[in-house]
Amino acid sequence: MIEVNNLQKEYLEGDTSTLALRGVTFSIAKGEFVSIMGPSGSGKSTLLHILSFLDRPTGGTYKFQDKSIDEMTDKELAHVRNSDMGFVFQSFNLLSRLTVYDNVEIPLLYSDISPSRRKKLVEEAVNSVGLEEKLYTEAGRLSGGQKQRVAIARALVTDPNVIFADEPTGNLDSQSGLQVMEILESLNDKGRTVILVTHETQTAEFADRIIRIKDGIVESDKKITANRIHRDIK
Amino acid sequence: MLFKDAFKTSTRSLTHGKMRSILTMLGIVIGIASVIILMSIGQSAQDMILGEVQSVGSNLIVVMPGAPSNGKFSSPASSRGIIITSLQQRDVDALARESSISDVASIVNGQAEAVYGNNNKTVSYQGVSANMFTVRNLAVSKGFPFTKGDVDSGSHVAVIGPELAVTLFGQYVNPIDKIIRMKNISFRVVGVLEKGGTGAFGVDQGNMVIIPTTVAQKQLLGINFLNGILLQGNSSYDINFVKSRVTFILRQNHGINDPNKDDFTIQTQADLLSILGSITSILTIFLAAIASISLIVGGIGIMNIMLVSVTERTREIGLRKAVGATNNDILQQFLIESVLLTFTGGIIGIAIGAGIVGLVYFVLSTFFSIGWVFAFPISAVILALTVSGVSGIAFGIYPAYQAGKKNPIDALRYE
Repeated sequence: MIEVNNLQKEYLEGDTSTLALRGVTFSIAKGEFVSIMGPSGSGKSTLLHILSFLDRPTGGTYKFQDKSIDEMTDKELAHVRNSDMGFVFQSFNLLSRLTVYDNVEIPLLYSDISPSRRKKLVEEAVNSVGLEEKLYTEAGRLSGGQKQRVAIARALVTDPNVIFADEPTGNLDSQSGLQVMEILESLNDKGRTVILVTHETQTAEFADRIIRIKDGIVESDKKITANRIHRDIK
Repeated sequence: MLFKDAFKTSTRSLTHGKMRSILTMLGIVIGIASVIILMSIGQSAQDMILGEVQSVGSNLIVVMPGAPSNGKFSSPASSRGIIITSLQQRDVDALARESSISDVASIVNGQAEAVYGNNNKTVSYQGVSANMFTVRNLAVSKGFPFTKGDVDSGSHVAVIGPELAVTLFGQYVNPIDKIIRMKNISFRVVGVLEKGGTGAFGVDQGNMVIIPTTVAQKQLLGINFLNGILLQGNSSYDINFVKSRVTFILRQNHGINDPNKDDFTIQTQADLLSILGSITSILTIFLAAIASISLIVGGIGIMNIMLVSVTERTREIGLRKAVGATNNDILQQFLIESVLLTFTGGIIGIAIGAGIVGLVYFVLSTFFSIGWVFAFPISAVILALTVSGVSGIAFGIYPAYQAGKKNPIDALRYE
C-alpha cells in the first residue's frame, strides 16, 4: 500500500539547507498498525507529512496504492487526502466555534457525497467514538479527550483506508490517551491501516510494528508479533 | 465543494464575528447609501426643475431678440442686457396668422417700485398680452386675469403675485380693486396669481406684477419693441416644424436672406428641457462620482479585514486543506465571504439611503412647503447592487487568493 524508497526531504532557508530525511526506505502493507518513533528533530513528523500527502519529498520515490506522488497534481493529492486518508493531530485542529457535527462533516463537504447521506455518515462516525450525546455541542466546550475523539470521528467519516495520527495522545491525560489508542486499535482491527507518530514507547507499543527514525534515516524496523497475537486472542 | 456548502460555511464564519462583520460592512454601507442619496436627490432636483419648465405650458416656443449664440449653453445677446429692438408687434400679428401656431403672446419686461399706501416693494413687472395667462398656465386665485379688451384699450389694470399682495396689503385685506402705483401710474388690481414658486424663466412669480403690454410699452418703458414672444405650437404639428415656420415668418418679416444673420433666437421648451436635463445629469453623475470615493475606501477596508481574517484562520485553512479542500475551494470560501459582506452592506446601504431620501422628501414637503419630487431611481439601486457585488470580488480576490495558495503543512503549523 505504501512504498518509500530512498525518501529525502531537504528544507532550504536562505543559504542554509537542512536535510530532514536522508534516504528512508520501507513499505507498509494494507491493514498494518505502524508506529514511527524517534526523538525530537529526528524527521518522524516530516516523514508522516510526506506519507499523508501534506508535503512532497525532495528526493527518492513514494508510491501510495501503486501511484507515485510525483505524478500527482496538488488537486489529485487533495482528492486522495479526502477519500483515502484520515488525520488525527496532536492539537486536535477542531474549529472550536462549530459543533461536533459540523466539525466531523468538514471532510464530507469536499467529497462527492450527497448532503442527505452526509448526516448518516456523520452520526455513525460520532457514534463510533461514543460521543452521540455531544453531537450538537460546540467543539470548544469539550474536554481534551473528547476533542481528540471528535478528531478521530472526523478522520473516519470518509471511510478512509489509512489513518495518520501525529502524536494523538500528546495533549491528553493518560486515561484519555488510553481511550484514544483503544479506538485506533479497534479501527485497525476492522482492517484499516493506522500509521502513528509518537515519542512515547507506551503509545507506540499499541502497534504491531515500530519504525525508529534517527537523524533522518531508519534506525530500526521491528514487528511486535506478540502484540498482534494478544489482540487476536482478546 | 458545492456552492451551497461554501455559502453556508462563509455565512457561518461571518455570523460568528457579528460585530466585526458589521464594522467591516460599514464602509460599504456608507458608500452605497451616499451614492443612493446623491443620485436620488439629483434625480429629484432634475425632476423638479424639468417639472417647473413643463408647468409653464406645453409646446412652448420662446422668441428672443438678438442673434443666436453658437454655444448650446449660451444665451442670446438680449438676455445679457443689450437692447435689441428687432421684435415688433407686427411679428406677433404675422405669427398669429400661422395655422401651426395656436397662440401667440407678447412680453416686455421692466422693474419698478410697486406702492400701496405706505407699503412698497421693488418688483419685476411684465407687460403681456391677455392670452399669456392661458399660454403660460398662469392661474389666478382671486379675481380674474385682464382681457384682450383691457390690453387693446390700454387699461391700467394689474395682476399681482401672492407674496406681493401680502407685502402691500397685509394678510387680511382683499387686494381686488385696490389701486397700486408704479412709476406714478395707478393700476387697479384685478387678480392675484396662485402660489407658483419661482417661474422657469427666473422671474419670481410670487412678487410679479403683470400688466397689459400696451401700457407697459407706452407709459412705463416708452418703447415700441418687444422683449420676447411666447408661442404655443398647435399640438397636431411637430414642434420642430412649428419652429421652422416661426423662423421662416420672422426672416420674411425682417427681410433676412442669410440664415447666419438672424436677429432673433428661437428656443423650444424641448431645447430648454434638454439643456437643463444635460446640466442636471452631469451634476448627478458628478455627485455620484464623489460618493463613490467612499465606496473605494470601504472596499479597501474590506480587503484589509479579509487579509487579517485569512491570517487569523491560517490553521483552519490548513485543516480544510488536509482533509481534502483544494486551492479553489478555499479561494471560493473567502471570496463568498467578501462578496457577502459587500452585498449585504449594499442592501443595508440602499435601505438607509431610501430612508434618508424619504426623510428629506418628508421634511422639505412638510416643513418647507417645497414641491420636492420623491425620486428613487431603480438605476441607482441596480448600480449600487452591482458595484457592491463587484467590489466584493475586486477587494476580496487578493485575500482569497492568498488563502487558497497556502501550503497545508505550513498552515497547520502556523502559531
